[in-house]
Amino acid sequence: MESLIIAGIALVKVLILANIILLTVSYLVYFERKISAWAQSRVGPNRVGYAGLLQPFADVFKLLLKEDIVPDQANKPIHTLAPFLALFVAFTTYAVIPWGPDVTIFGRVIELSVVPNINAGILYVLALTSIGVYAITLSGWSSGSKYSLLGGVRASAQMISYEISMGFSVAGVLIFSQSLLPSEIVKSQSGLMWNAFLQPIGFITFVTAAFAETNRLPFDLPEAEPELVGGFHTEYSSMKFAAFFLAEYANMMIASALIVTLYLGGWQVPYLEKLGLSAGWEAIIQVAAFFTKLVFLMFFFIWVRWSIPRFRYDQLMDIGWKVMFPLALLNVIWAAVLAMLIK
Amino acid sequence: MAVKKRMKDFTLMEKIYLPSIVAGLGITLQNMFKPKYTMEYPEVKFMPSGHYRGRPVLVQEEDGGERCVACGLCSRVCPALAIDIQAAETEKEKERYPERFEINMLRCIFCGLCEEVCPEEAIVMSKEYEIAFTNRQDAIYGKDKLLTPIADLQERIEFLRGNK
Amino acid sequence: MGKFILDGQEIGFKPGQTIIEAAKEVGVEIPHFCWHPSLSVSGNCRVCLVEVEKMPKLAIACATQASEGMVVHTESTRALSARQAVMEFLLINHPLDCPICDEAGECKLQDYTFSHSVGESRFTEEKQHKEKRVPLGPHVMFDGDRCISCSRCIRFCDEIAGESELTFVNRGDRVTIQTFPGKELKNPYSLCVTDICPVGALTNRDFRFKARVWDMSNTASVCPGCARGCNIDVWVRSNEILRLTPRQNDEVNSYWMCDEGRLNTWKHVNAGDRVDCPHIRRDEGLSKATWDEIYSKASAELHSFSSGEIAFIGSATSTVEDNHLLSKLASHLHCKNIDFPRHIVPGSGDKILRREDKTPNAAGALAAGISPVKDGLGFEEIMVAIKSHKIKALVVVEEDIAAMDEKYVSALKQLQLLVVLASNFNATTELAHIVIPAATWTEKNGVFINFEGRAQRIRPAVATEQMDRSLDGFSMSRLDKFGTKFDRWGNYKKYDARPAWRIFLDLGHLLGLKAKFELAEDVWEDFTKHSPGFHGITYDDLGETGLTVKKELHKV
Repeated sequence: MESLIIAGIALVKVLILANIILLTVSYLVYFERKISAWAQSRVGPNRVGYAGLLQPFADVFKLLLKEDIVPDQANKPIHTLAPFLALFVAFTTYAVIPWGPDVTIFGRVIELSVVPNINAGILYVLALTSIGVYAITLSGWSSGSKYSLLGGVRASAQMISYEISMGFSVAGVLIFSQSLLPSEIVKSQSGLMWNAFLQPIGFITFVTAAFAETNRLPFDLPEAEPELVGGFHTEYSSMKFAAFFLAEYANMMIASALIVTLYLGGWQVPYLEKLGLSAGWEAIIQVAAFFTKLVFLMFFFIWVRWSIPRFRYDQLMDIGWKVMFPLALLNVIWAAVLAMLIK
Repeated sequence: MAVKKRMKDFTLMEKIYLPSIVAGLGITLQNMFKPKYTMEYPEVKFMPSGHYRGRPVLVQEEDGGERCVACGLCSRVCPALAIDIQAAETEKEKERYPERFEINMLRCIFCGLCEEVCPEEAIVMSKEYEIAFTNRQDAIYGKDKLLTPIADLQERIEFLRGNK
Repeated sequence: MGKFILDGQEIGFKPGQTIIEAAKEVGVEIPHFCWHPSLSVSGNCRVCLVEVEKMPKLAIACATQASEGMVVHTESTRALSARQAVMEFLLINHPLDCPICDEAGECKLQDYTFSHSVGESRFTEEKQHKEKRVPLGPHVMFDGDRCISCSRCIRFCDEIAGESELTFVNRGDRVTIQTFPGKELKNPYSLCVTDICPVGALTNRDFRFKARVWDMSNTASVCPGCARGCNIDVWVRSNEILRLTPRQNDEVNSYWMCDEGRLNTWKHVNAGDRVDCPHIRRDEGLSKATWDEIYSKASAELHSFSSGEIAFIGSATSTVEDNHLLSKLASHLHCKNIDFPRHIVPGSGDKILRREDKTPNAAGALAAGISPVKDGLGFEEIMVAIKSHKIKALVVVEEDIAAMDEKYVSALKQLQLLVVLASNFNATTELAHIVIPAATWTEKNGVFINFEGRAQRIRPAVATEQMDRSLDGFSMSRLDKFGTKFDRWGNYKKYDARPAWRIFLDLGHLLGLKAKFELAEDVWEDFTKHSPGFHGITYDDLGETGLTVKKELHKV
């Protein structure tokens, strides 16, 4: 009975989260187009529904109705597998992100995270995002097109390079929190002890690496429309293309959630306890705080995309290895010194 | 590979790169709140001035007749061979008039050479830019569609006279 | 043969030649309006003024005889400024109505204004106005404003047509052209004045405003109006003939042609009564059929008669090629009854161009063997034999026999089989059992042999359904080159007609004739092999102006 209830609660959490992700992701596409339009003094989509709010549904229907084209030269099973691998990785990473404090409902303590108590939560995230590179590399390789292949090769090189600085940046956070549990990391940033303030270098390297890992501008070389005609997803159409599309935005969301969790205090609101609110209100405000931070970061992702041009490939590698990597190392030392001083 | 010397070395601030990024972000953020330039077409329509080259039309005199004498120069000069004319004799003083005057709007490239070559100021480019049809036959505009009262074309005619 | 110097170059001249003539022979054109090689010199336009050294004033090249050692400058400062002054004077009263003028595009004044004028007028006063739109005769329209008083038309009527009909009236800038009181410009060659008029003062009423000259293609051909065979250009736009003009050939027609030939030899090509596909007589009358149907029916029926019961009527309006294959088919069927009707109109000829024989190819038909073989019947005998039921089947090529005489109608009604090749429906097709659409003279290649034995080529100017203007080597206008079937001017009517020689070839194949020809040229080659006097003469030898082959052919 107890295990059934636990399973039920987990299922509800999955359903809620999955819906939030899907809805957010589809509206991310809408806002990407809106914000790009605003930044360029245009109006943006405004024809479907009020102010174009139904545009995401129109896009999805359009993609659904399109013909699914598989190139003759493609390795068909892998070609089909790749987009869903990308989607799978993007969605499962959410499992360990805490989006609020523990709450007590009907006398039962519920953690606001799908799988709350994995000791290796952060490692799980790192592991999964590394699998994400397979999706892109495989899609590039299996398409049987030189553009796709180049995009895939670029993607793997880029993601492996930036994973290193990402890992070292995270190490700085872990030294501070002394735990791999995401919920512990959040709790360790109480008050204004946000890692973003304590380790500014690590914060910058992590955010930069996050951009690179999600293939967003200025690091979108695997797609690079002008030179690679869309890169790894050149040969994808219909729902498979939509899967890549969804995964890209889901990745953006998970990257934002990770930044919030690791550096911006997660669901914590500084000095909220001083207001003396009831536990229920406090929980609601904290969940809202998490999503506010998340929304701001996603806006930031889009904002950056429409402000900064793409790097050249050699510049990308230069920054990855010659700048980001030493900086991340420096940050580890800094974190260690700081941790010794404070604790 | 020979290493090229830069014209100018970057300063430290430029090398850090982040300040420039922030400045760039600032510019795009400012733009997000500025007024938009988009003209929302079917509701808001573009009103061209006299310089605009819309679809070519024939000038219709006050008496209802065309000014054209069917000399065929527009047809000759047309680089896309869009204009087809059949001349015929009229009792009027001008002797000659176009019995058939057709412009194939699928061929027309709106270059305005017909207007420029016309010795009679009889064919001018109108302001009309909404030209749509669903088959090849409808794309051939005859005199019924081309004749436009001279009063409606005054602005263009004055523009042409001012730019001779 | 003397020599003089023209623009620093020594050229020869024949005694009595003028400067302009001597220059023309070496390819130097001295501008001229009133001078015409075939007309007398009048020297009134003054545009041919040239500088001759040791002469006190400039001289007009058209009236100054060349002499030994003369030094002539056509491009010197004095000559040029005089020429420009003349052009300016001529343009003072010439209206700027090129847009409505039919001559535009082939106008000498337009060309010279472009090449020999300063391009500006200092004349700001009112131009002299004269009568416009005056019909001088049934075919020619006169516009007084445009006339530059060169007098070419007056001299043409006096000297070539031999009927003085036109004259100048008034003086100075009010001078204009009129017909003599009580007279009209209606000599048989009146339309030639529109050709020689250097401006648009005299225009062809039949062609008036039909098309701009640059929209048409022109094809070198030969007029089928009489046995003279005047060389002509056929002007076509959108696959439709709009006018004929004479083409210079000093051996045949010089620069001229008669109005009859110019106006009445081609109207049937564009007419509504064209035979547009094969027809077979069924119970209810003539009805449409396919080519295969009529070929198999005609061959089967011809096969059922004995050779003595069949007769073939060729035609002097068809080409040598057509008649050659007709005679080939007749001899293949051992038919001796083969002839063609004559179209002699007594009193219709003159000493200029027109001939009494109204067919272009009587000599060619005879040369191709369209005459009764020994013991065979001639045309009149055939008609009599039909009445007496001796001849039961008749093949007629492009001849409207029924319209020639009432008595032939009753004869034709006796026939069991009447196969008619015709371009237009006529009295004979009314009686025919099988009507085969034949291409007209403007729709096929071929050769006409005129009364002097001169073989001249006709070329297709109008495309039939089986032909394509670009693929079959037609002369093409700009519109032809770039038109598509989606353009009104590119989507023109093509008739489903074939040259008579091809019809006989296809029919012959079904009757066991062994012959293989792809082009009219092949048929001509076959003809020359079998005709003494024509050996080795090819289409290329005939060229644009033809070749006089046999003087003794003219006993028609």
